[in-house]
Amino acid sequence: MDLNLIKKLIKVVENSEINEFEYEEGELKVKISKNFNGLPVQSYLQNYSQPMMQQAPAVTAESPKPAVGETEKKSNLHEVRSPIVGTFYRAPAPDADPYVQVGDSISQGGVLCIVEAMKLMNEIESDVSGKIVKILVENATPVEYNQPLFLVEKN
Amino acid sequence: MFNIEKFDIKLSTETIGRNFIYCEDIDSTNSFLLKSKEYNKHGLVFFAEYQSAGRGRRNRTWLSTKEQNLTFSIMLKDGISADNINILILGASVAVAQALENLYQFKVNLKWPNDVLINNKKISGILVESTSKGSKIEKAVIGIAVNVNQAGFTGQFNIQPTSVRKEFRKEVSREKLLSEILNCFEEIFNLSINNKEKVLNDWRMRCNLIGEKIKIEDGDKTIHGIFEDIDENGYLQLKTNNEITSIHFGEISLPQ
Repeated sequence: MDLNLIKKLIKVVENSEINEFEYEEGELKVKISKNFNGLPVQSYLQNYSQPMMQQAPAVTAESPKPAVGETEKKSNLHEVRSPIVGTFYRAPAPDADPYVQVGDSISQGGVLCIVEAMKLMNEIESDVSGKIVKILVENATPVEYNQPLFLVEKN
Repeated sequence: MFNIEKFDIKLSTETIGRNFIYCEDIDSTNSFLLKSKEYNKHGLVFFAEYQSAGRGRRNRTWLSTKEQNLTFSIMLKDGISADNINILILGASVAVAQALENLYQFKVNLKWPNDVLINNKKISGILVESTSKGSKIEKAVIGIAVNVNQAGFTGQFNIQPTSVRKEFRKEVSREKLLSEILNCFEEIFNLSINNKEKVLNDWRMRCNLIGEKIKIEDGDKTIHGIFEDIDENGYLQLKTNNEITSIHFGEISLPQ
């Protein structure tokens, strides 16, 4: 089957009120359905290490509904992103202890890390109070502008 | 002893240095301003005669003899963003270079990103630190140290130090030099918002390593290549095997 035709069909479904579309011709079977449950299968955390799931209509079979509680958990999680391009450091100096560990409580204004670029030491403070759920970047590795660095579960 | 009146009379800025704090002895002028909730006006300059814990990059120490040099920090709050912070990192060294050229007619070279050199010796070091709440830069502190009237240096250095006195062969007025640096810096700050390209060009014309083979070291990593240029963000463009890489970290030096 022509791939372009599938693409066209997806476009048509996307722009329409149709939620589900099935087409059968001999051996070929196409099913397009819109997913209205927000994020599918994947947990929120895993999305960072993988490309974003396509949320528009997709040519898939059934897509399981998110686990109970998942959506609620998501809204309570806050991402702290990098304000600049640079190198991510978890500690103020090479031989010092990291500012925070997973599981630590952090208050608003507490220092999370340093991002260094061109000798600029940029100290990143948390903009929320909560608990560090995940550190998304390895120490001393490069980060991009706006890249998520920490997941904080808000109080 | 630093004479504030002599400094003030030469200061021609609108905001930079108009709030001026003089201090005999402090751990580090940058640390103080970063922590301070009270001294947080845009343009404030915090000057110390002596720093007991002067810092460089990654907590290297900066040693400076009491009452002979300039060690100060400039607080920036208005007009600071991810857009112009890099320009200011380079621009701070341009301001110091311009002041040294204006007052003593030195031939100044800049080493990426912001070391100020005379005859391949370091006369000034700059440490920019900022704090961000979440992804917004809230304030930036530009820490500048200039070796002015220090007669000699002992110890181990990654780049050999020098002072204005050593190069100019006489003692000079620290007050005049400080006001000149701040006058130049205010102009650079305004340009960082209105005309970044001018700041980048002012930096480029003082860098003698562009086009040269260089070595970049960061921790245990070393990269060799040709220093092609700096880009619009101030990142170093390193050419290796006909590929250009944007560098935003590390110490650069000429390969031995």
